[in-house]
Amino acid sequence: MADKNTCMTCGSSRGLCGGKGIATLKEGIWTNNPLAIQVLGICSTLAVTNKLSNSLVMGIALMFVTAGSNLFVSLLRKQIPHRIRMIAEVAIISAFVVVFDQFLKAYYWEMSKQLGPYVGLIITNCIVMGRAEAFALQNPPIVSIVDGLANGIGYALALAIIGFLRELLGSGQVVLAGLPLPLGSWYTPNQMMIIAPGAFFVFGILIAIFNVMKGGPAEENKK
Amino acid sequence: MHKFRQNMYTVGFSLILGLACATLLTAAAEFTRSQQADNKKAEEIRNILMALKAPFETQASAGELIAVFERDVTEQLVGRQNPLTLYIYKPHGSETPVAAAVKFFGSGVWGPIKGFLALEPDYKTIRGVTFYQQEETPGLGGEIVTEHFRSRFAGKQIADAQGAWGIDITAGGGDHPGVNEIAGISGATMTCDKVEDMINTVIETLAAKREADGR
Repeated sequence: MADKNTCMTCGSSRGLCGGKGIATLKEGIWTNNPLAIQVLGICSTLAVTNKLSNSLVMGIALMFVTAGSNLFVSLLRKQIPHRIRMIAEVAIISAFVVVFDQFLKAYYWEMSKQLGPYVGLIITNCIVMGRAEAFALQNPPIVSIVDGLANGIGYALALAIIGFLRELLGSGQVVLAGLPLPLGSWYTPNQMMIIAPGAFFVFGILIAIFNVMKGGPAEENKK
Repeated sequence: MHKFRQNMYTVGFSLILGLACATLLTAAAEFTRSQQADNKKAEEIRNILMALKAPFETQASAGELIAVFERDVTEQLVGRQNPLTLYIYKPHGSETPVAAAVKFFGSGVWGPIKGFLALEPDYKTIRGVTFYQQEETPGLGGEIVTEHFRSRFAGKQIADAQGAWGIDITAGGGDHPGVNEIAGISGATMTCDKVEDMINTVIETLAAKREADGR
């Protein structure tokens, strides 16, 4: 740790890997947000966002898994035989997912019950596998952790927005850490927001907002 | 020969990775096992105590709940075929039972439903009902877990005015003056019918016990 502006992996003096760290972070959270732009990992997004607290825990779980699996895939990227690389990635990912699931079951029983099978299903979440395959296999460990965290944050952020809106509109209040934030008695909760269609509406609108803020749909940007 | 070495490397790599992951998972499972088992037991106990309307701290830890349960609740088997476990509640320091609970279960609309039915010491009046596992439609059948619905059971009888055993969860809400009638949830008739069936199955066994006891 000679200079905090020097990259530990490549020795560049312009921050992590010649500014790649910041670029990676921005890409995962914003310009290439796994949910709103790439539209990956929809199954869990639709299933667990009926409450803000569920969404947040799910986001943390994914952050932990993508960062951890990216680190190990990146560390082993020169050792993993090409033919079985996907099997190796899934093995590493499942190890992280199961550890997190066991931890929730032991110390956050209520939360584990509410998330049900969706924590386990992170193993098949396209985001995690996608980052391992597309990023960690080609990049050094530290920047791979950054990429994993960034995508996890991007996912958690989108989930939190959807979860907040669905809980607020669906039950008339948002409860976080036992503290309720009511919308007021004038509002009649719309139960559709709690069930699956509500997730589609909110998620669709979120994608639209992201696209507008980025200036047009993703396809047009490429031209 | 080169290809052979490559294959051996692949097999060796898979073996080592597999073993490393398996070791990690075993350690994680082993490390959290007792805590997880306590959580499962406490979950069931919490529901039994809730159905019995036994006072307990809502924030109590798994260990505390297990301690309260072991102190105040005794288990008794009733019925010869498909025996039921009866959880009899005697408040701390008292010798007279205040309530008894039994588990009921069956298939719901989307998945299994499990819950507890608590009765007063007369084994005829319902004291409370809880559901601890259900996957019914949120907003419709899922409403069975709400206090609003469950409170409709309290004080009802498990037999009608003529003495025929069984409860009746009626469709369409409204007034239901019958001693064994409980207003159902509008839009959740199928869930209500299934819950009624599974509770009545338990009531049959209890009725046999009452007759065996000569009451």
